[in-house]
Amino acid sequence: MPQDNDCLLVTGASSGLGREMARRFSASHRLILGGRDEERLRRTRADCHLPDQHRVWRHDLTDVEGIADQLADFLAVHDVRVSGLVHSAAQLNVLPLRSLAPSMVLDTFRANVLSAMELVRTLTKKRVNQQRLRSVVFVSSIASQFGAKGFSAYSASKGALDALMKSLAVELAPGVRVNSVLPGALRTAMTASMFDDPQVADRLAADYPLGIGAPADIVDAVEFLLSEKARWITGQQLVVDGGRTTNITA
Amino acid sequence: MTTHEPNLLNLAGSHYLITGAGSGIGRATAALFASLGARVTLVDCDEAPLAELIDNLPNGPHARRVYDLADVEGIDDLVRDIVSANGRLHGMVHAAGTQVVMPARDIKPEMWRRILAVNTEAALALARNMARKRVCQGGGSVVFISSVMAMAGSAGSVAYSMSKAALHGMARSLALELAPLSVRVNCIAPGFVRTPMLERLERTWDASQRDAVEALHPLGFGEAQDIAHAAAFLAAATGRWITGTVLVVDGGYLAK
Repeated sequence: MPQDNDCLLVTGASSGLGREMARRFSASHRLILGGRDEERLRRTRADCHLPDQHRVWRHDLTDVEGIADQLADFLAVHDVRVSGLVHSAAQLNVLPLRSLAPSMVLDTFRANVLSAMELVRTLTKKRVNQQRLRSVVFVSSIASQFGAKGFSAYSASKGALDALMKSLAVELAPGVRVNSVLPGALRTAMTASMFDDPQVADRLAADYPLGIGAPADIVDAVEFLLSEKARWITGQQLVVDGGRTTNITA
Repeated sequence: MTTHEPNLLNLAGSHYLITGAGSGIGRATAALFASLGARVTLVDCDEAPLAELIDNLPNGPHARRVYDLADVEGIDDLVRDIVSANGRLHGMVHAAGTQVVMPARDIKPEMWRRILAVNTEAALALARNMARKRVCQGGGSVVFISSVMAMAGSAGSVAYSMSKAALHGMARSLALELAPLSVRVNCIAPGFVRTPMLERLERTWDASQRDAVEALHPLGFGEAQDIAHAAAFLAAATGRWITGTVLVVDGGYLAK
């Protein structure tokens, strides 16, 4: 049964898709807003429904080793538990292979994948979260399924994230459901530079049978997967991409 | 999380054709869609369950047609009659399906042809009508109920697997054809759901076989309602940027 101190933890809540999720879910959940930049997290919180109900957890997810202790302390200090996790934080650096320094690749993997594993590991510790975790949604990408120039580090990290999701789904059933949402191209801060180039923007628009997506399209899918309406869905990659990956002529 | 859960699935003002509505997933979908505000036209080869169901549906007015979808040639006329009697459609859920569990060496061509006709050909014959202005005003959702058998093998299910895998291919190409009309086409691939079809299968298993099959699903067997909720998610505005995909609803069956 949900209890009063149950929260939904949203990572990457300071901007883009994570921020949209926070705004939407604030109407139905008490939130923990995760992100690196405390000032921007506070701005997200100010945009939420009933701002005082929600808490800000400032943490740099590339510091994977710090997650377990810092999250456990945060939950203890605020006397809250996490029943839902949405991992929306992600790093994207579009670079050709020759320019990908190992340190950048490792940072991408820390922010996109290893942090997700460590968050779930921490939230399934009985001492920390009292077995309250019920549903986890990772924001992956259609880049986990298909190649694109300059996307090798990002694609590999999202592929790893989806593989992690499937193993967690099997290992944590029946208590916790774990799924991914795979968005196509959205207009957010992370992708703004891609849309700045008119040629790239035109090509993207032509490749998407239903047009370019909006953050709300993804938020609806995440909300569905978190809800009891999806109580028999686990280990699933839900593609929300306006038909992009179906389109072999793109 | 709090107990408050907003109802993000709203189908008010829409009209859906639902096949296989007499039992199982089709029946649960029809009941859910009606409760979310849709008018539904129920299609099934059996009269009695439709008559009983339609009397218990909220909202409306709803309609029903007794039709054997193995008669693929007649489906254009069926849809035309439905539209002229009950109005244009906002979408379809093809939940009608038939299954024969039989080794490949024994199954007869007329058996696999019937499975393909009802499960697959009827899906195309129905859905292509959404490209016609007199059927669909523009904008809508088509959902084919496929199966995890489209993606994982099962001895004795060759014809069923073939029929369901074909739905996935069809949905992808149809999604592209219908995207300019804002009609979305997707599949839902259920695992083993407690329905009359599963009960018929269970009669061929002993208790240990049954437990072994349930254990393949990390969350156990599903309910028809679980599939109905996924169909409603795809049909409602929540699915507006989803087309050409397969939504697996299987309690984790395919994850391992």
